[in-house]
Amino acid sequence: MLELLVILLCGGILASGILAIRLSNLMAAMVSSGLSSLFAAVCYVLLAAPDVAMAEASIGSGLATLIFLYAIRRTGDATE
Amino acid sequence: MADFFLFVAAILIFFGIVLGVLRLILGRTIVDRVAAVDMLTVISISVIALYAHVSGRFIYLDVALVYGVLSFLSVLAVARYLERGL
Repeated sequence: MLELLVILLCGGILASGILAIRLSNLMAAMVSSGLSSLFAAVCYVLLAAPDVAMAEASIGSGLATLIFLYAIRRTGDATE
Repeated sequence: MADFFLFVAAILIFFGIVLGVLRLILGRTIVDRVAAVDMLTVISISVIALYAHVSGRFIYLDVALVYGVLSFLSVLAVARYLERGL
């Protein structure tokens, strides 16, 4: 049961990573990138590394999204 | 009996992740994708809580708590940006 969840979460990491590369809308690509790190944090918990998961959730999903928002706001329009 | 409910919860989480990722892939507007990410965040917290119960390691509930606070901040920042700029 949990192996199936890990496989599904890895598929979600792949799908959101491909979306983050392929989408032309910068905001949507940023949201997809945040989702990729969110799934990675859940994978870390399921692989018995809760401290790594906490760091990944705080940096990848929280701080990186804010920095990307600031960068998009400073460099121009949100849509390409 | 408890195992049956845990199994049902795992099945519901499975379909929730599949439908949320489908909404993220097919989403027409940014708001659809942000809503999908918010839903997947809540589903991820439920995955961590379920795994904390199944494995018997209740330190994982702290991870779920930190996770909920931070993902809430992230979605709030994106929504505020979409409304009127950060």
